[in-house]
Amino acid sequence: MPVDRAAILAEIAGILHAIRGDAGIDGEITMATRFQDDLELESIDIVSLAGRLQGRYGDAVNFAQLVAGLDLDSLRQLRVGQLVEHIAAALEEAETSTEPADASRGTAGTPA
Amino acid sequence: MSTVWANGLSVHVEQLAPAADLGASGAAPAAVLVHGMATDTLASWYLTLAHPLATAGFRVVMYDLRGHGHTQRPAEGYALDDFVDDLAALLAALDVTGPIHLLGNSFGGTIACGYAVRHPERVVAIAAIESAPPTAEWFTRVAAQLDLAATYLPRAHALAEIRAERGELASRRARTARDVLATTSLVRDLPASRLPSEERIAALGCPTLWVYGGDSPMVELAHEVGRLLPRARIVTVPGQRHSLLVDKPDTVRSIVLPWLRQVGEGRAGHPVAGPPPREGRDEPSAPATAH
Repeated sequence: MPVDRAAILAEIAGILHAIRGDAGIDGEITMATRFQDDLELESIDIVSLAGRLQGRYGDAVNFAQLVAGLDLDSLRQLRVGQLVEHIAAALEEAETSTEPADASRGTAGTPA
Repeated sequence: MSTVWANGLSVHVEQLAPAADLGASGAAPAAVLVHGMATDTLASWYLTLAHPLATAGFRVVMYDLRGHGHTQRPAEGYALDDFVDDLAALLAALDVTGPIHLLGNSFGGTIACGYAVRHPERVVAIAAIESAPPTAEWFTRVAAQLDLAATYLPRAHALAEIRAERGELASRRARTARDVLATTSLVRDLPASRLPSEERIAALGCPTLWVYGGDSPMVELAHEVGRLLPRARIVTVPGQRHSLLVDKPDTVRSIVLPWLRQVGEGRAGHPVAGPPPREGRDEPSAPATAH
């Protein structure tokens, strides 16, 4: 069954609103919204987002792994859509795999 | 986000599990990452070296210093010894009892050194980015910087000026720094820190790595490192500034990870996963250049 990307987007939008709290977020969050250039999310907020996503989707979704390869400019321009795709791909992989996650991929970088 | 009670404070901690079980060799080596003062948080490590270190086989521990990020902000207690006490209490609370690798960004490297001076038996290696050991010369500079920030940031147009010049995020970081300086004794406490004698710093037995941006004023302190720790590895990255870690994480990674592998192979009982190093053991402190 294909993963519902719109549902993931709504989930991420909800988390972002919760993190920003009173500071709020202007406008609608879409696939094209950039975490830093548009939302001006501070790096410590990105860590909070990663933690909440892990809590919501489990170890299959590894946000630290997604951002670890990015330099400052790429991180600044990272779009919500890229994260939605990352989560959808991880969930689809977890769904099709009948094997338990192997050690080389499944546990690296997951919260201890 | 997880919170641990240590040294009377609620401390924000993030941990990453090592990629591979090291089997018969026992528990994975621990890497503890310490961030810098006033504008910094554990995010600088989380978004740069934390995951690569976990992939290399380390149990990775990051935390927000007192007064910073999501850790509690007490009004008092911001001398070097307080930060070292916090680190020791945190390790005990997390049940990290074995040897540790300490990585420090900016003042975080100074805290790492301060910890190693007081607990030399615990520290396998120190890798510091844009940092210096706790010497009088470094603390004089820290005091000047803190004074400057504490005087400038509360001014009416300071944040607007920073926003116009360096953007909204820089302005928000500056506001955080302003609040830390205004509501705590940091500006007073840190310069008044009790410093270890130079003999005790020089007696540090573990390998140390110091990475500097070529355009950062911090590189002027490399001579202090070479003088006190003649066996230290010093690497300068040309064209980079104090924000080296977040500006060029790939470069920092390519310097720190191979060095940690070399340290691991030189220390029986604490192997680090990864291919063999291309060069030899730790080199003397003649400043090298990367990239």
